[in-house]
Order: sequence, then structure tokens, then C-alpha cells
Amino acid sequence: MQEAFSRGLLKPGLNVVLEGPKKAVNDVNGLKQCLAEFKRDLEWVERLDVTLGPVPGIRGPQATSQNKDQKAVDPEDDFQREMNFYSQAQAAVLAVLPRLRQLKVPTKRPTDYFAEMAKSDQQMQKIRQKLQAKQAAMEKSEKAKQLRALRKYGKKVQTEVLQKRQREKAHMMSAIKKYQKGFSDKLDFLEGDQKPVARSTKGGAKGQQMKKGPSAKRRYKNQKFGYGGKKKGSKWNTRESYDDVSSFRAKTAHGKGLKRPGKKGSNKRPGKRTREKMKGRTR
Amino acid sequence: GKWKNKERILIFSSRGINFRTRHLMQDLRMLMPHSKADTKMDRKDKLFVINEVCEIKNCNKCIYFEAKKKQDLYMWLSNSPHGPSAKFLVQNIHTLAELKMTGNCLKGSRPLLSFDPAFDELPHFALLKELLIQIFSTPRYHPKSQPFVDHVFTFTILDNRIWFRNFQIIEEDAALVEIGPRFVLNLIKIFQGSFGGPTLYENPHYQSPNMHRRVIRSITAAKYREKQQVKDVQKLRKKQPKTILPHDPTADVFVTPAEEKPIEIQWVKPEPKVDLKARKKRIYKRQRKMKQKMNCGNAK
Repeated sequence: MQEAFSRGLLKPGLNVVLEGPKKAVNDVNGLKQCLAEFKRDLEWVERLDVTLGPVPGIRGPQATSQNKDQKAVDPEDDFQREMNFYSQAQAAVLAVLPRLRQLKVPTKRPTDYFAEMAKSDQQMQKIRQKLQAKQAAMEKSEKAKQLRALRKYGKKVQTEVLQKRQREKAHMMSAIKKYQKGFSDKLDFLEGDQKPVARSTKGGAKGQQMKKGPSAKRRYKNQKFGYGGKKKGSKWNTRESYDDVSSFRAKTAHGKGLKRPGKKGSNKRPGKRTREKMKGRTR
Repeated sequence: GKWKNKERILIFSSRGINFRTRHLMQDLRMLMPHSKADTKMDRKDKLFVINEVCEIKNCNKCIYFEAKKKQDLYMWLSNSPHGPSAKFLVQNIHTLAELKMTGNCLKGSRPLLSFDPAFDELPHFALLKELLIQIFSTPRYHPKSQPFVDHVFTFTILDNRIWFRNFQIIEEDAALVEIGPRFVLNLIKIFQGSFGGPTLYENPHYQSPNMHRRVIRSITAAKYREKQQVKDVQKLRKKQPKTILPHDPTADVFVTPAEEKPIEIQWVKPEPKVDLKARKKRIYKRQRKMKQKMNCGNAK
């Protein structure tokens, strides 16, 4: 540090003593030697160890193109991680079973072989009960959902049926009353349901819709003010348009100037005084 | 046949372990018929005393659980007289008794050991693999063992840790169910001797749990300190007098009002956008209304 100071490299301020990055001990040779000493040459049957990666087929089509840099398993993703372990175990089992069969090591327990298990029967019962309870709860919720949906549908159907009945009844009553009052002497209403009326109303409604369009008021406003513009105030009178009397025609206003072709003057009936005068004159 | 592979494992713990560790230890003892139990060791004694305990019990391997602060669990795996030993930090312990582990296996049946290919790549992992094989594989023809191979231990290296799982083999087509227990081992150091000796390997990714907790606490503390600092700076700024500039007439020189656009009126009706759905809905609604009106009229 003294040398650096004399060279003028040190800046003013506290100079903190930094430790270099810690070097982790990695005695490769020592490890290898230790392994060589420690290793026991046992038969494979004694050790039963397999070193295999997980089954690649399970991953799907991605594995074929990226065999070298396989998707690194994300340790935070629980499901993926556990599936990785599972597939590794599966690969090991599949690789080892034929070998074991060759060496005549049994893997399947015969059904009459009873021995103590790692978990007691009581524990297994508990597990089974829990699983059953879970399944029952799921089924219950499914049933409840279905019932709710059914109830909604049932209600709809019920209201429709009631309405239909009411309509029929009303129709029948009016037909009976008509017959009673003598308006129609046909007893057709007793002969079941025919629906000519409903069809015409359907057709009539559709036809009328297309004919009407916008109302007369709307059409007049479209003609006067045009289309589009502001949302609310563009088709109203303004002060200027109100004060503007250039389009005032006195004759049209008093109902006199209309030149209608056709009807003769004799249609115009003279007033009371004129008629009495005429009466007096003719007599 | 004759029992030739005379491996014996001593499984015991220090004082101050909690229930989960105790259950894990009992599970391991049950799964490994070639294991022996011992009483709890006082932590005041030095670790090489364990070698003497092993010799007394005639064991050549040892699994020693050490609990510190009632929170952290360390596990030692060692080959007793001269061989290597390794210290791990144990995390994510789930015992056999958990109800989500639905598999079961014979007590004392021989396990199949499955290792990740990553164990063969680095020398320290190769050494660990050998140690794990010698400890966890049940010797053939051991008097307390069952001759069947019906479960598999998996050791996987992920995120610089060793993950342990135990699966039951149900079908010959490798259908598996988890039995438990499960834990994660975080390697700290490998020593050349048993519970001592020169360090052969030190894990650079290992962070002691104390350090981890300290880092978390310092993060929260730093957040709070930063907030306080920001508040102080704001207070100072508010107290400073603000300078109000006089109005500059030259600022309005370039202000021009927008041009007035001529009002265009459309005299031709625009083409209606035919929305079939909306049209149908309107027709249907009007139909229903008319029907109702007629029915009401009829009823009346």
C-alpha cells in the first residue's frame, strides 16, 4: 500500500482491506487416491447400483432435437422435479430387471408370503381412508354441481309448461265465450290445437320490421340536418335557425297556395252567410 | 447362501434433535437391516470419539445426525477407521409416516440404488457415490434381510444438492409409488479421515444456515433503511426555498391556435353495418312482446 501511495494511485478516503474471493479446497488428486483406496470390489449383485439418466421418451418431441443441451430441470418447479426423479427411477428399474432375472434374484413377492412391512397395517389403513375421503369429497362436489345445473334447467322447463297451459286455457275460454254469445256457430275449438294464428303473427312481425325503419320524425331530421355529427345536439334548432324566417311562405302558412290537380271548385262549400244569401236569391 | 459382505452401519444422533429428525432416524434404521442404534451423544465430546464408539459396536460405517440451535440438522457419513467422511446439511425432510406417501415395502428388503449420471462426472461426486453405495446397499443373505428387491433409492444431483427419494416397485413395467422418507443433502466438506483429517473438498456453493438467515434479515433491514433515507431526503428538499421564475413574454411567441376545420354534414345515409345477431335478438324480443300482448288480450 505504501508503494501505491507513493505512486499517487490511492484516492482519498477510507481504503478498506478487501479479502480475495475464498478459494474452495478441491484436492482432485487426493479425492481420486482416496477413492482408489476406499473402493471395494464387490460383485454387482451385492451392490445393486445403476447409474442412468431419466427416461428421455417421456419428455416428448423436444428431446430428439436437443439431446445435448437437455432442458435443465428447474428445481423450483416441484412437478417437473419429481417427474424427473420418477423417470430416473423408472429407467433404472427397466434396465435392471432383466439382469436380476438372469441372476435369479426374486423381485415379485408371492401372494402367500407374509412378512413384516416397513409401514404397519394401521398406517396403510389411515392412508387408504384419507384417499377414500378425498375421492368422496370430489364426487360430492361434482354431484352438487350437476344438481344445481339440473335445477336451473328444470325451473326453465317448468315455467314454459305453465305458460303454455295458461295460454291454452285463455284461448279456450275466449272461443267458448264467442260460441256462447253466438258470434261463431262452429265448434272448431274443441278439435285440438291448430296454430294458424301464431304463424301469421311471426311472419307479420318480420315483414313489418323491415318496412318501418326509422320513424317519420327521424326521417325528417335526417333530411333537414344530415347524418353523423355530434352525439346529442346536432339535430336541434339553434338561435340562428329559429330567427331565420327566410323559408316562410305566407300562402302555405294560411293554407291557400296549394296547387292540387284534380278536384273541382264545386267541392269548396261556401260559408253560411253566402249559402243563406244564395238560398234567398234562388227562392 | 452365505453372508459375506460384513457391512454394519451405526446410526445415531446428538442431543437436541426434534421429532422430525428422530422419525427420520428411525425410518432409516427400519429400512436398513444392517444398521445398529446407539444412545444420544453429548455434543461436548469431540467428534473423533465417534470412531471409538463405532469400534466398540463393531461397525465400519456411520451415519451421525447433529442438530444445532434446534433448527439446523447436519448429517455425517463416514467410513469408520481410516476412510473418508462427508458432512452434509439436511433439508426438506419428509418421513415415512406422511399420509401422502402411499407406497409400502418389506421391512429389510434389499434396495436398488439409482444414481444420476452427474455422479460420474466430478471426482468428489464419484467418491460420494461409492460411500453411498457402501452404506445404503443391504448385504446379500444378511440374516435380517428379505431376499426380494422391491424398492429403489434414487440419488439425483440438482441445484448442487443431492436429492434422495424411495420408490416402491409395483409392476414389472416400472410403475412406481413413493414410500418415503425423502430429504435433500447439501454437501459442506469431504474429509480424508473419519470425522477429521485434511479437507479433500469444500463445496463453494454451500452457504451456512446462519449466513442465510443473516442475509435475509439484512435484506429486510436494508429495505427499511433505504426507505428512511429517501424520506429524509424528501424532507430536506421540501424545506429548501423554491425559486419562482417571472413570466417570460417570449415563451408565447410560438403559440398558435389550431386551425378551424369546416363542419361537414353527411347528406347521404351511411350503409348500415348489418349485425345479424343483434338484429335477430331484436326481432325475437319484439315477437315475444307481441305474443305476450296478444295472450294478455286473449286472457282479458
